[in-house]
This record gives sequence, C-alpha cells and structure tokens, in this order.
Amino acid sequence: MSEFLFELNMLDSLLLLSAVTVAIAILCRVEYISGGVVTLLYLAQLVVVGMMISAGGVFSSHLTPQLFGYELGWLLDGLGLYFTLITVGSALLATLYMAGEWGRRYREQGKSFRALQSLLALNVFTMQLLLASSDLLSLFISWELASWAAFALMALSGGKGLKAALHYMIYAFSGAMLVFAVVAWIATTAVTAAYQLDINGAGILQFSSVAELMQQGIFTIPEQLLMLTLLLIGFGIKMGLLPFHLWQAPAYALSIGPAGAFLGAISSRLGLFAIIVVLFKIFGSITDGSILQSSFGFEFASVTPKTLLAWIAVATIIFPTFVAMRQNDARHLLAWHGIGQGGYMLLGLVMMDSLGSAGGLLHVFNHATYQAALFLAVTSVIYRTGTADLNRLGGLVVRMPLSFMTLLIGIIGLAGLPPMNGFVSKWLVYRSLLDQGELLLFVGAVIGTLGTILSVYKLIHNMFLGSLRKEHEEVREVSWSMLTPMLILSALILLTGLFPGIPLQWVAQGLSAVGLPVAEFNLGGVMADGGSLDMVIVSMVLFSGFGVAALIFYFVGGKSKRVNPLDNYAGGHFLYASNRYHYSNNFYAGLMHLIKPWYKNTFQRLERVVVTLLELTAESLSRLYMRPHSNQLALIIVVLLLW
Amino acid sequence: MDTQIFTEISLSEILVELLLMPVIAFLVGLVMVLWMRKIGARVQRRIGPPLFQPLYDVVKLFGKKTQVSHGVVHDIGIVMAMGGYIAAETLLPVPGMNGIAVYGGIITLTYLMMIPSLGLALGVGQCANPNGSIGISRALTAMLAYDIPFVIIVFGVAFHHETTNLVEIITQQQQAGIASWGAVQNPLLALAGLATLQGMLGKQPFEIYIAPAEIATGPMVEMSGKYLGGLFVMQAFQLYTAAVLYVSLFLGGGESWFELLAKSFVVVSIPMMIAFVFPRYRTEDLVRLFWKWPVMIGLLGVAFVG
Repeated sequence: MSEFLFELNMLDSLLLLSAVTVAIAILCRVEYISGGVVTLLYLAQLVVVGMMISAGGVFSSHLTPQLFGYELGWLLDGLGLYFTLITVGSALLATLYMAGEWGRRYREQGKSFRALQSLLALNVFTMQLLLASSDLLSLFISWELASWAAFALMALSGGKGLKAALHYMIYAFSGAMLVFAVVAWIATTAVTAAYQLDINGAGILQFSSVAELMQQGIFTIPEQLLMLTLLLIGFGIKMGLLPFHLWQAPAYALSIGPAGAFLGAISSRLGLFAIIVVLFKIFGSITDGSILQSSFGFEFASVTPKTLLAWIAVATIIFPTFVAMRQNDARHLLAWHGIGQGGYMLLGLVMMDSLGSAGGLLHVFNHATYQAALFLAVTSVIYRTGTADLNRLGGLVVRMPLSFMTLLIGIIGLAGLPPMNGFVSKWLVYRSLLDQGELLLFVGAVIGTLGTILSVYKLIHNMFLGSLRKEHEEVREVSWSMLTPMLILSALILLTGLFPGIPLQWVAQGLSAVGLPVAEFNLGGVMADGGSLDMVIVSMVLFSGFGVAALIFYFVGGKSKRVNPLDNYAGGHFLYASNRYHYSNNFYAGLMHLIKPWYKNTFQRLERVVVTLLELTAESLSRLYMRPHSNQLALIIVVLLLW
Repeated sequence: MDTQIFTEISLSEILVELLLMPVIAFLVGLVMVLWMRKIGARVQRRIGPPLFQPLYDVVKLFGKKTQVSHGVVHDIGIVMAMGGYIAAETLLPVPGMNGIAVYGGIITLTYLMMIPSLGLALGVGQCANPNGSIGISRALTAMLAYDIPFVIIVFGVAFHHETTNLVEIITQQQQAGIASWGAVQNPLLALAGLATLQGMLGKQPFEIYIAPAEIATGPMVEMSGKYLGGLFVMQAFQLYTAAVLYVSLFLGGGESWFELLAKSFVVVSIPMMIAFVFPRYRTEDLVRLFWKWPVMIGLLGVAFVG
C-alpha cells in the first residue's frame, strides 16, 4: 500500500485531491470553515494542474480497473489538461465567491451550504474523470456521472430550477443512450476484430484502438457516419448545439448564483471536449469528407461532415443570440449567450486549420472567464436587490461601481471587442473563415457578434445605467469576499486580451494532443501569412487613443459639475424620485418591429411534436399491457423472445 | 514579407505616430465637416457656414461655463467615443506613417470602430434620460444594419487581396496602377461600401439615430458644453477614419498626402450629394434598406471576386 502511495504521479494526486475535496465538502459540518478549506483544496488542485501543464506531456493514472473484461484507463493529455485547468479555475473562483458573506446569508436562509459545496466539488471531480478518460467505456461512465452531478447541482435551487433540471435530465439521458448504443455497438464488434488486428482485447475500447478499427475498415463508411452522427448528437446535447439547446438556458440561469457561474463557464464545454475527441481522435479520417466521395460513388464534396457542422455551429451562434436579446432576466440573457458562444468554439475547431482551431479552443478559456465574471456580477446584483429582472433595476452604477466594472469588462469580452480576450479568439475564427473563403459562415459569425453587442448593452443599461429606483437608494457594493473573484476574473479577461500568448500556449498543447495544426504565436498574438494580430500593439494604440481623448476631455474647457438625475430634461415636466424615468422594456422596439415575425418558436414546437409522439407511443404500448389478458400476452412475448 | 515590416518600426516612430495622427485627423476632419456642410447648403441653395465655423463650434462648446456631468461613466463614455476613433485612425496606413498599421489589419479595425458606439452608448446611458436611451437603442440598431454589409465588403476586399493587412492591400493597388484599384476590380463592393459609409457616418438620410435636428429627443439630450464638444470632435475623427479607410480599400490609398486627401474629400462628397435628395428613414426602415440593397450588392460583389 505504501509503495502504491509512493508512486502516485501527478494525475493520481490530482484525482485524489479532487476526491478528498468532495469528501471534505460532504463531511465537514462546520460550514463556515468548510468554505475556506474547500477553496484552499481547489487552489491546491490548480497548483497541481499548473505543474502538469508546465511539465507538459501525457500523464496516465495508476487507476486501471477492469469492467466486463474491458480495461478502463485515465490519461490526461494537453487537451484534457486545458479543460481541467478551466474547470478547476472556475470552481476555485465560484467557491471563493461563496466562501464569505454570500455563503453566510445562504446558510441564514436555512439552506444547506454543505449540499451546494459538495455538489460543486462532485461536479469538478466527475468532470476531471471525464476529461482524463482514455477509452470509450470510461468516457461513457464518467459522462453519466458528470451528467448526474450537474443535474443535482441544478436541481438544488428547487422550484422552477428543479423543473429546468429535469428538462436537462431528459435531454442528457437521451443523449447518453445514443452514446451508449454506439459504445455497445463498437464493443460487440470489436472483440472479434481485435484478434484480426492483433490488438489487446481488453484495451480495444481505447480511443487509439477504436480509431485503428475505423481506419482498418472494420466498419463501413455509412456505419461510421451513423456512429459519428449518434455521438455528435449525444455530446452536442450537452453543448447546447442546435436543435438540442432548449434545456440549457433555463437550467443554467435558474441554478444557484455561483453554481450557475461555474456551470455557465465550463459545464457545457464538456460536450465540446467530447466532440473534439470524437471528431479528431476517433473519426479523424472521415471528418474532412474525402472518403465520402469514393464510397458513395457520387459527388459529395460540398456536403462534408465539416461543412455540415460549421453550419450547425453558425446556427447555434445566431439563433440563441437573438433569443438572448429578448430576455428580460439578466441570468437568462447570459445563459442564452452561453449557448451562442459555444457555436464560435465549434466553428473554429471544424475549420481544422491552425488559426481556426486555435481560435475555437482559445474561446473556451475566454468564454469561461467572462461568463463567470458576468454571472457573478449578476449574482451580486441579485444579492443586493433581490432581482435580476431587467425591468426592475437601473442606475446601480452609482451604488455598485465595482460590480459595474466587472460587468462592463465582461460584456466587452462577450461581445468580442478589443482589447478584451473574447476579441482574440473571435479574430482567429474570422481569419480562418476568411482564409478558407467561407463568406456566409463569416457573415453569420459577425451577425452573432453584432447581435451580442445589442443584447449586452441592454443588459448593462437596464441594470446599471439610467435612473436609480427609489427602493435601491440604500443599496451598497457587495463585500470584498465576493468582489475578489469578480476582480480576478476581470483582470484575467483584460490580461489574456493583452497577452493572448499565455493561454495560446496551453491551447497549442491541446491542439497538438489531437493532431491539429498549431499556429505560430508570440506573447501578443498570432503570426500568420496574410495579416497578423499583435494585441500588445493594438491595445497600446487603443489606450493611447483613450489617453489623448482624456487629455482633450479633461484638460480642455471648463470643469464639469455633477447634477442630480432629477434635474434632467423632461419636456418641461418636473421629475420626482417616485417617477420612473427609465427606458427598459422592449428596448429594441424598432428592431423588433421588423424582426419579431421571424421569431417562430420553431424549436419549441419541434420539441412539443417529439414529446407528443413519445406520449402517443407510450400510451399505445401501455394499452397493450393494460388489456384484460395481459398475462397471456406477456407469456407469448417471453416465449417469442426465448425462441 | 510581414516579418520584414515588423522590424523596421522604432519606438520614437510609434510615439510620433500616436501623437501626430490625432492632430492631423482632427484638422482634416474639421475641414471635412465644413465641406459636408457646404455641400448640404449648396444642394439646398443656401450659402453655408464660413470657413472657420467648425473650429468656432468646438471652441464654443469647450468654452462653455456650465459643464453638466451625470457621473463618471458619462465622462468615460465621451473619452471612449473619441479614443476609439483616435485608435482606429492610428491603425490606418497613411503616407509616411505605416509603422503601426501593419499590426492591426482590417478585421481589427472593423471591431475598433465599434468601440466609439459602445462608449457613446455607455455615456448616454448614465445620463438617465429615456429619450437618450431610445436614441441609443436606435443607434445600435442602425449599427446592426450597416455593419452587416460592411463586413461583407471587408471580407470581399480581404479575400481579393488575400490579406487582412491594410498596408499590403494598398501596396498591391499602388504597384499595379488604377486598373488594380478596388473600385475598378470590384465595383459592386465599392458601391455597397459607399452606401454603408453613409449609414456609418449617420448622415442624411440615415441621421435619425443621431437626431441632430431634434436634440431633445435623441441620444444627445443630456449632452452640453464639452460633452457635445467631445462628440463633435469625435465626428471629425469619424469622418477622417471612414473616408481614409474607404480610400485605402477601394481607391489605392495615397502615395502622397495630397493624393490621399483629395480622394478622401471626393469620397465624402459623393454620398452627401445624393443624400439630401432622399427623405429621412426610420430606424427599422434603415435596417430593412441596408439588409436588402447593400447586402445584396455586396454578396454579388464577393461572388465576382476572383
């Protein structure tokens, strides 16, 4: 035993630490201590992940149990490490946020802080297991575990949140069934194939062996395409890819504040991780579609899995963004944008060139930073005012300036404007689309960005700008325990925008782990033929522009005088504090006048059709066994089955 | 090619560029404001303002005794609005000062030019006047309208020249003469560009989101003194940036300052002469118009890019 412990490598210690975190979160009954302890444990995990990243290479765990004769294994390469880093980082900041005053009030409300803490830790642990899985069976098992953990964390909020969580569970379950079907299919066929190919039968489900099976043509191309489709749907559900996105926004938005920040930052990206594994580790050979032409015998070049996925990605960018624009609850608005941003990641990755894939993968990190910042800022507003309703807020910038700043930096990142990090990853995706001459995809991606700008301005305007409501006169900024993670995230958004080379080096490790090309980059950005990007210079120019503008504004002309908002122009009327002098409802009335007829709720209807069909099937089946002589019927079925 | 350009720039050059460009752009921009006002006046059979009127306007606005601020974000918004354009014009290649431009590129520039809109929106937002907020809702809607054809044009030009580097785009046009200018090679893109330019500048007939004629019911409602002055300066920068960008994309840039400025003034005059003939568009009609014609022409234009 001691020998075993002595031999623990870094992945073993990471998983062990993570398990210990779960155990302590569950066992520690003294809740005001557990917040701090668990935060420290996440910090320790982050240190281990950091050490692994700087060491580089592949780490395999000693944990190799056998199941049904298959060997399960855990192995962390550059790709898994990149996602693990983001997972642990988000968990650390979310826990830091709730360790202090936020958690105290949560406990005072009679809710179980311990449950929240331990479910979050459980999520992190199961996600780490998933990210380190090296074969289809361990992938499936940890996928299920992670899904259940996410469900429990969502369901914790109760009420509508529980309903949304159940909605998620139905989707997740259907997805998992598809994945399981493929795993079972491969497993049953593979055993016989293993002898032919001289592969160790127990390790036949490892990604590399499965890829080998595919390349050797054990499965025909149509079979492989079917498998690929089923897996993409199964994992795409988690990612919120159209048309399987309906569950996501309510489920994340209604989760408990910091948990929502964690889930919104990284949880659905596990779907992207699994898709990357499937696309590039297992089915790498058919993704670019060259085989399709030869096997079907007719010209299929224009519809490859690549173009199809790219179009799904663009649809995932556009539709949820414009749904987000119509939301009247800050959390729902952000959660809908979370779905849309996932589209950029997939779009970049399926471009499969050095710029696009770097952009897609970099966007995972960038998105996690600003989404967590935004969710935490909104949670802070809810903490002080009790609402995230965009029609019941306004003018909070004078009361909560630092939360405003976090939200501002976050929305600039989300909208993808320089100098924040969101711009860099989107720039890479745009450049890749440009290089490959994909005009319509490019325009689609930009439409998403423009829609995002409109939507996030509404968010910040309705919450923080405009006139302050009378009932919010006494509101104060949140405490430092909550501000610290928000400010750390803001700094990250800005710094990784100025120096994208830092996250790009993690991205490069991830890309090379799945065999995708890696762009040449430096601290400030990317060097590429046909136009480079150097964020250090761009930011310098931008801040110097602000500097010159500030010189003009502050040093030329008279000194400005602060006035009370009640002194505003109101067409000759007097304004009183009880007047609501704020424009928030139906903010883009003009635009909606034009595009409202385009919102057709197609996906809700589609979902309802599927539900109705399922209900009908279930009903007719239940008629079958509810009949008076159902026992005879059952006997016949059993006999038939046995026969 | 790229790496060669990168090594040539020195720190002193950067500093000169960062400080000199705003001054040049400011002066040129003021003359452009005058030029546009003159054209507008002549179309309407008026004489128009005297030579130094734009400068008087700036001096008057900045010299006001009462400067009403609605808070820090109000101030920062004005700074962002001006600063965004100052940054954008620094990243535009002009004769003798190409140093920084190679680091930016056309996509970066497109996004930098959205920062002033965001700045203005934030500043107006803090003024806590619903009239202002409605104006911003219109302004952002207009941005959604004109930026879609604009990115189609950007795509077309970058695809044609196989680079996003503006210096490279201009060099390619200058080396092969007029026949290789964007306006000759891709006339449809150049046409869509002119329309987009007009929307981007918020000039007639698309000026409803700025509402310069009914200041009390637009985004400027709470802007007074140097706040309005700052936005006036921003307008000068904006005119310069938009015109020079258009010249760089379609008219081969300028080998000398004279050439560049001559072309820029022609660029701002054309839409101005047409503009006053049209009635004013409501915001949603503006969206419909831009999503139909410039987008269609732009897409056609890209289809012809070989």
